[in-house]
Amino acid sequence: MFNNLIFIILFMLGFYALIMKTNLIKNVIGLNIMEAAVFFWVISFSDVGGEVSIHKLGEEVTKFNDPVPQALTLTGIVIGASTAALLLTLIIELNKFSGTIDREKIEGLND
Amino acid sequence: MSWMNIELILLIALPAVIAVFMAFSSSFKQRTRNILAVTGAGIELYLVFSLFFLNFEAVKNSNFFLQYTIGYSNPPFVINFAMDNLSLLFSLIVTAAVFFIVIFSTQYIRDKESRYFAFFFLVLASIQGSILTADLFTLYLFIEAITIFTTPLISFKKTEKTTRAAMQYLFYGITGGVFFFISIILIYFNLGTLKMAAVAESFVLISTPMQLTIIIFFLLALIIKLGIFPIHFWLPRAHSACPAPISALLSGVLLKVYLYIFMRLFWTMIAFDFLVELHLSAFVLDLALVSSLIGHVFALQADKLKKMLAYSSIGHIGMILAVLMLNTEAAFYGGLLHIIAHMLMKSGLFLSSGYLLRTTLSHHIDDLKGIGHKNRLVFIAFIIICLGTIGMPPLIGFVSKWFVLLAFLEARHYFGAFVVGAGSIIALIYYLRYISQAYETVKTENKTLREELVSLKVFFKSTNIMKNIIYLFTLLIIFFGLGYKFFEIPINTAIFELLNPQKYIELVLGG
Repeated sequence: MFNNLIFIILFMLGFYALIMKTNLIKNVIGLNIMEAAVFFWVISFSDVGGEVSIHKLGEEVTKFNDPVPQALTLTGIVIGASTAALLLTLIIELNKFSGTIDREKIEGLND
Repeated sequence: MSWMNIELILLIALPAVIAVFMAFSSSFKQRTRNILAVTGAGIELYLVFSLFFLNFEAVKNSNFFLQYTIGYSNPPFVINFAMDNLSLLFSLIVTAAVFFIVIFSTQYIRDKESRYFAFFFLVLASIQGSILTADLFTLYLFIEAITIFTTPLISFKKTEKTTRAAMQYLFYGITGGVFFFISIILIYFNLGTLKMAAVAESFVLISTPMQLTIIIFFLLALIIKLGIFPIHFWLPRAHSACPAPISALLSGVLLKVYLYIFMRLFWTMIAFDFLVELHLSAFVLDLALVSSLIGHVFALQADKLKKMLAYSSIGHIGMILAVLMLNTEAAFYGGLLHIIAHMLMKSGLFLSSGYLLRTTLSHHIDDLKGIGHKNRLVFIAFIIICLGTIGMPPLIGFVSKWFVLLAFLEARHYFGAFVVGAGSIIALIYYLRYISQAYETVKTENKTLREELVSLKVFFKSTNIMKNIIYLFTLLIIFFGLGYKFFEIPINTAIFELLNPQKYIELVLGG
């Protein structure tokens, strides 16, 4: 249950940063923390204390960790990285236009 | 493995390959690039239509099914694409709409075309992928791909407004994606599979609280992506900031793709009875109806043309979602017909607004004075499409709204019937506001109506592709309004698919 607790704490932390903070970069960080919480949770569940799930010649592997969640997580990390990059470029552009990265001060974002 | 099964992969791979060509096409001549884009979209359209006509007998008897598997044959280590009648219907209408939007944008987009078309075809590839996929993880990938690839298109004209809209769109899209991911992972941990058909078979085995969690996360993700009421404010901004063809793509095509995913998830994968049992269907129905009303009311106060159209989209999508939640045959007929009708009408409206707004300062209502006199025929087409959206009798909007209304009355859901009627009346008011504004001043001396009609005679010879596409959409709306029976066979077979998910499950697991 320890991993559940950490998942909830991390997820809520990220969600807090995403919703409550007005700094756009902090919002991106919050989003990434949220994603990281989900990935951590997935990986911690798939770990059953077994072998790495690689097929070894001549060896009988009886207990191995499920590779599918790991594959899902890898893909999720790739998506997360690309969206973070895209968001940060948009924030840089926005900073060029309005001279600030504060959500409250950028006109029209909160209307 | 016959040619047709490989066509499924080709439908996804072809736009992706064209996108790669487009990305490096900045040194091409403009003509070459346009020809490449139009032929690419045309081949895509031909492939889908050939699938439809070559298998017409099978489609008619509701046993059309194609699938293609990549990887090992045993689940869950497999990527699976399948096409049944429902996905065929959506693939058909989406590809047809996208084809016309591509033709429109060859003339509309005037700079950075290579970038534009590259992202456009990537979006097309991910749309086809999310329609054709048969397992959850690929679905998640393609949904995220749609979100990521549409963002640069929204901020295509680099201004402060578009950047803001794109950023907000991405924030909400990714949050929805995270919810979707959580749901998928919960399904995997409970059932050990990600194939939609296998999940559908054993979804009963999950404990009720877990079922509730999974369904709620799916609903949250899709409500965010569809722009249903509590989380709708990103939609009008994103849909009004981008260039007109992209607005048409987002509002006319993409929202329908999310509706398709909604149907796939809640009718094929998770049987609809679970939603009824957990008392969620009534809740979603009411939420969608409230969203519909709110969309229409907000459209009343929107002072910008494209923003008004986007709010009206919220209204229509809410109505379609509500009618689908009734889960009767009549409701599916009305809902699917309105999906097609709204796709035609909203694409037409956004494209014609794009044409009309080229000559004005902004799309604020005060700047639109006299556009009705400047471009007479295009504005008449715009009015006809508006009337279709309101629900005037000979047009397709009337037919579909009529069936939606009948479905609500048949289910004795009078609030729904009220929302459909009220939506039409409010729509009449907000469209009239813009139409009367457009005919305000009569100062500009331009072509007379007679000259315009003469120019219509050289319809396909004339160089103005944009106008012709708008006229084509108008004609289609009139034509299908009179001949909505054309959609009878595809829609009825799609309804069969929704009501009998067992067939899809058996065929996917069997092959």
